[in-house]
Amino acid sequence: MRTEAAAVTLAGAPRSIGRWRSLFTQESIATIAVSLIVAAAVLLPLATLVVSSFRVLDDLGFSTTWGLDNYRLLFTDHVIPGAFVNTLLISTGSMVLATVLGVSLAWINARTNCPWREKLEPFNLIPFFLSPFVGAIAWHNLAAPKTGLINALARNTLGIEGHLLNVDNIYGVIWVTGIFFTPLVYLFVVGSLRRMDPSLEDSARTTGAGLLRTTLTVTLPLVAPGILSGAIIVFVTSAGEFGVPFKLGAPYGVETLTTQIFTKAVGDDANYYLGASMSMALGAITAFFIFVQQRYIAPRSFTTVTGKGFRPNVVDLGRWKWLALGLNLAFILVAVVLPIFCLVVVSLHPVWEGEIILSDITFRNYVKTLAFWRTDSISAATNGIFNSFILSFAGASIAMVLSLVVSYMIHRTKGFGSRMLDLLCVIPIGFPGIVLAMGVLVTYIKTPIYATLWILLLGYITRFFPYGQRNISSVMLAISEELDQSSRMAGASWITTLRRITIPLLKPGIFAGWLLLFIIFLRELSISIILYTSGTETLSVGVYYLANFENESLTSALSVAQTVVLLACIVIFRRMAGREALTA
Amino acid sequence: MENEKATPPYLEVNGLVKWFGADRAVDNISFGVERGKFLTLLGPSGCGKTTTLMSIAGLHGIDGGDIRVGDVTYTSFSKKLFLPPEKRDIGMVFQSYAIWPHMTVAQNVAYPLEIRKIDRAEIDSRVADVLRLVGLGDMADKLATQLSGGQQQRAALARAIVSRPRLLLFDEPLSNLDLKLREQMRVELKRIQNEVGITSVYVTHDQSEALVMSDEIIVMSKGRIEQKGGPHEIYAHPVNRYVSNFIGVANLLEGHVIRVTSPGHGEFEVNHGNERVILPCCLGEGLKEGAAAVLSVRPENVEARRKDPGTPRLEGEVLEAIFLGNCVDCRVRWGAFEWKVLAHPRDRLRPGERVFLHLDPDHSLAVQP
Repeated sequence: MRTEAAAVTLAGAPRSIGRWRSLFTQESIATIAVSLIVAAAVLLPLATLVVSSFRVLDDLGFSTTWGLDNYRLLFTDHVIPGAFVNTLLISTGSMVLATVLGVSLAWINARTNCPWREKLEPFNLIPFFLSPFVGAIAWHNLAAPKTGLINALARNTLGIEGHLLNVDNIYGVIWVTGIFFTPLVYLFVVGSLRRMDPSLEDSARTTGAGLLRTTLTVTLPLVAPGILSGAIIVFVTSAGEFGVPFKLGAPYGVETLTTQIFTKAVGDDANYYLGASMSMALGAITAFFIFVQQRYIAPRSFTTVTGKGFRPNVVDLGRWKWLALGLNLAFILVAVVLPIFCLVVVSLHPVWEGEIILSDITFRNYVKTLAFWRTDSISAATNGIFNSFILSFAGASIAMVLSLVVSYMIHRTKGFGSRMLDLLCVIPIGFPGIVLAMGVLVTYIKTPIYATLWILLLGYITRFFPYGQRNISSVMLAISEELDQSSRMAGASWITTLRRITIPLLKPGIFAGWLLLFIIFLRELSISIILYTSGTETLSVGVYYLANFENESLTSALSVAQTVVLLACIVIFRRMAGREALTA
Repeated sequence: MENEKATPPYLEVNGLVKWFGADRAVDNISFGVERGKFLTLLGPSGCGKTTTLMSIAGLHGIDGGDIRVGDVTYTSFSKKLFLPPEKRDIGMVFQSYAIWPHMTVAQNVAYPLEIRKIDRAEIDSRVADVLRLVGLGDMADKLATQLSGGQQQRAALARAIVSRPRLLLFDEPLSNLDLKLREQMRVELKRIQNEVGITSVYVTHDQSEALVMSDEIIVMSKGRIEQKGGPHEIYAHPVNRYVSNFIGVANLLEGHVIRVTSPGHGEFEVNHGNERVILPCCLGEGLKEGAAAVLSVRPENVEARRKDPGTPRLEGEVLEAIFLGNCVDCRVRWGAFEWKVLAHPRDRLRPGERVFLHLDPDHSLAVQP
């Protein structure tokens, strides 16, 4: 009797009502529909990817048989094992660089008396919004051995032979990836540094511990989960990064898993099945680390955050504050100012040969890449602009509607369904865009949505809607469920409650999430590069096309255009969402 | 519980069962409330009182029983009927008040009327009336976030009663207020409920709230009803140790009934070391000669005297005497037992003093353990 009744309610209230007359309420129809959509969108590509990785293409490239050859090739191929090692090296290197920089900057801005720290913080975060691929293009133009602006300047002014800096190698890849992902660590750490209850440190000081000892024994351990989370996210994101190694690594013999997946997914000797097994390998690494982070590390970081606004202790650095300021400014210089400046300079020259020639300055590159109405414009670039705006707008809007219902289910209904959905929302985060895109490709290649914008839209939303969902969830957790319930008690139906109470209260979260997704989609490369076809290029694919088939000047012009739009979005984002809305 | 009346009550909960996972949050409880009355579900957290309230509200499904108000069935497990919460016509005041922060006070209060598609002019006049009733007449255009806790409380009450619902539900509405305000609000809440005359169910863990406001109290524990009765009955005649302990402060002595002298009266022997102490007392329901029982005596019904009274002789030592203004809160050690005694300030009891405790037999009640 007891166990039977328990089994009935184990699925929670909605289920026990579900057996009743109210099976088809607005609420249950909406939530069941959305759960099925999310489950299909997330699980189908991954399942197909697994299956595909066991299909072996015969020598003629026509038919396939079952087998493990694709996995055997991961070890015996003459490029793939090296790419694997490079991926690990680059991810580790970027993680170390980003963590050192991110933690230092977060501590400087949150807890020291470094001058202008409040004014500099937004600039520290700019790389988060920009495309690392564009960053790589910029750094190539700054520090390529021959045509790099810095190297040319060094030759002319210092009389150096050859070059001063060279980013066209694995160190360059690590450098650009590291500085562009520094804000990720920053955002993970700065919140807990700022919101830490100062009495935690004060009580250590009153027991006689000095500043250094307090920092090492109290402050750092409290922030450690945040640091670790940030480091893991950087490792995983770097492993899935395609643009930077494609620009600075692959042409110079530094192949990575992502560049190899790309080679196998597109081009003349495309072998989706081998691409699938490489994606499995990459996905296994990233999913493992994300699992560890979500399961063991993220839950701990909440212990330092009490939610109350505290005024944290500020450390007086004395004369060292100028060093802190120097580090801060240097970061902004190399991550924001120099790259953007260089892109603008290069984009104004007909051909870039490493030197600024004022008499050559022209806007022809912008006309060719942006002026879609002219016949001599490059269609890959102009298509990209249109397509990206359509995809970003539609993608962000659809993803936020989905996020809203999913968040509602996770936080406002209890039981099996909500736990499943919660899990489904973490899965896409565990897989790099390029891996998920391979799954989407092999799943839908024989359907009518292949070679349309729809497949891109599907890939974008599947991979990134959890980010929107997190934005909504964080707001939803802060507002009491009783606000919804009291509307139901006042006589309003579920849908009316959603429209008049829930959505208006969630507006800040919805908007912040929408804009974040809009920005992510506008610069998205690694999904687009797998799923685009001629006519469905995106902005970043346009940049890729120009970098591959045209010259650096045209590439820079489109990069500048993309960067300007993204910078405008940042301004809006900060106005609307507040400064820590990004924290994942 | 047993005194079923011929006419069925206005709100009737019959055999309600609710499981949470493997826990029986509400375990087959039944009760009724007469029209216009104020019923309080009282108990510690986890006793099932809020679950019962939420079941009436329809904010979750149930696993057994029926709930009916007037001639409307809200939920019936056997008939597989479940009326969604918005169709139940209930006004509810939540613990967090749940005043919507994106609306003004007037918009909050007008909401239930707008949902009912009442025309604007009437909405405006009814909102104004009800805001005046709860004392927020001049706050109509304030945003919810500009209100103090007590004002939010009033706004929530206004929103709950504005549509003149069938039933009013309160989920620990005063627990977030400070003591002074709480005492003031409970009187006011009761006044407003009296004025509008809506049948109310109130959930609280605060026994003094329950005593002040209720027409009837149900004391709950572990998903079951321990006792149902009027405030005075519950306080003066708790049926068992649990209720006696939960309602107010009591000295609880273990022992057994040794004699029934007349119906409802008898003698109680305290298990107290080697000493044999027999105290005359009132007998609670169902206590027979020889039954194990607990003697419950309220601190205000124990007198500490300096003169030896003879038998029964309860001699003890004053451990502490805390002056509270109108009385002195004393602890008196009697062997291993510590008596709680409320003494008069003029007695000037001091720690270390030997005193004799005198119990009034009419206010000493033996109850089931």
